[in-house]
Amino acid sequence: MARIIGVEIPPQKRIDIALRYIYGIGPTNAKEVLARAKIDPSIRAKDLTEQQLSQIVHAIQDGKYVIEGDLRREIGMNLKRMQGIKCYRGVRHLRGLPVRGQRTQTNARTRKGPRKTVGVVRNPGAKTGIH
Amino acid sequence: MGRSIKKGPFVDFHLLDKIQKAKDTKSKAPIKTWSRRSMITPDFVGLTFNVHNGKMFHPVFVTENMVGHRLGEFSLTRTFKKHGAHTAKAEAK
Repeated sequence: MARIIGVEIPPQKRIDIALRYIYGIGPTNAKEVLARAKIDPSIRAKDLTEQQLSQIVHAIQDGKYVIEGDLRREIGMNLKRMQGIKCYRGVRHLRGLPVRGQRTQTNARTRKGPRKTVGVVRNPGAKTGIH
Repeated sequence: MGRSIKKGPFVDFHLLDKIQKAKDTKSKAPIKTWSRRSMITPDFVGLTFNVHNGKMFHPVFVTENMVGHRLGEFSLTRTFKKHGAHTAKAEAK
């Protein structure tokens, strides 16, 4: 069991894959980190020595990668800023609709979530006339 | 592709004139504009703009956070309609 930066516990995978379990490190960054730390990407995470682990940690910290809590906070702040100033993107985030101009008549299920059918509820106070 | 930095932010000249005038006279009266495409620069901060949305002018008070956005982003052009109960309360909106 290897721990890198706090709570990350990548299991029996190759280290270049295991590093991606850190929020904010994807394929490209994982490769970069390993190149910086001068570690063979094909080693399994459990086979790393203490020294290699600390090399990786150093590579991540010196590389100024924004990861985990900091990254989540940064994203949250951006959303909050956009919602606070009521700009178009902020409003779309508030309403849970697609932000980048996609159609919403159909599709957009990722943002809208599962389909919910809304029936027509007649106004009980409405005048009843001859239809 | 983004806009070249060399050119600086885009602001319509007629809007710049109006802002300059408002700054000179220190007037806080809202500035009526159709120029939704103008980027908000730091000189806009503290002014109120009435931004056209195709139908009416939407009052927008510019704060520091808005710098870098365009005026049009704050004056929505579509009305948001929802399905649901046609009750008196919902109709009143």
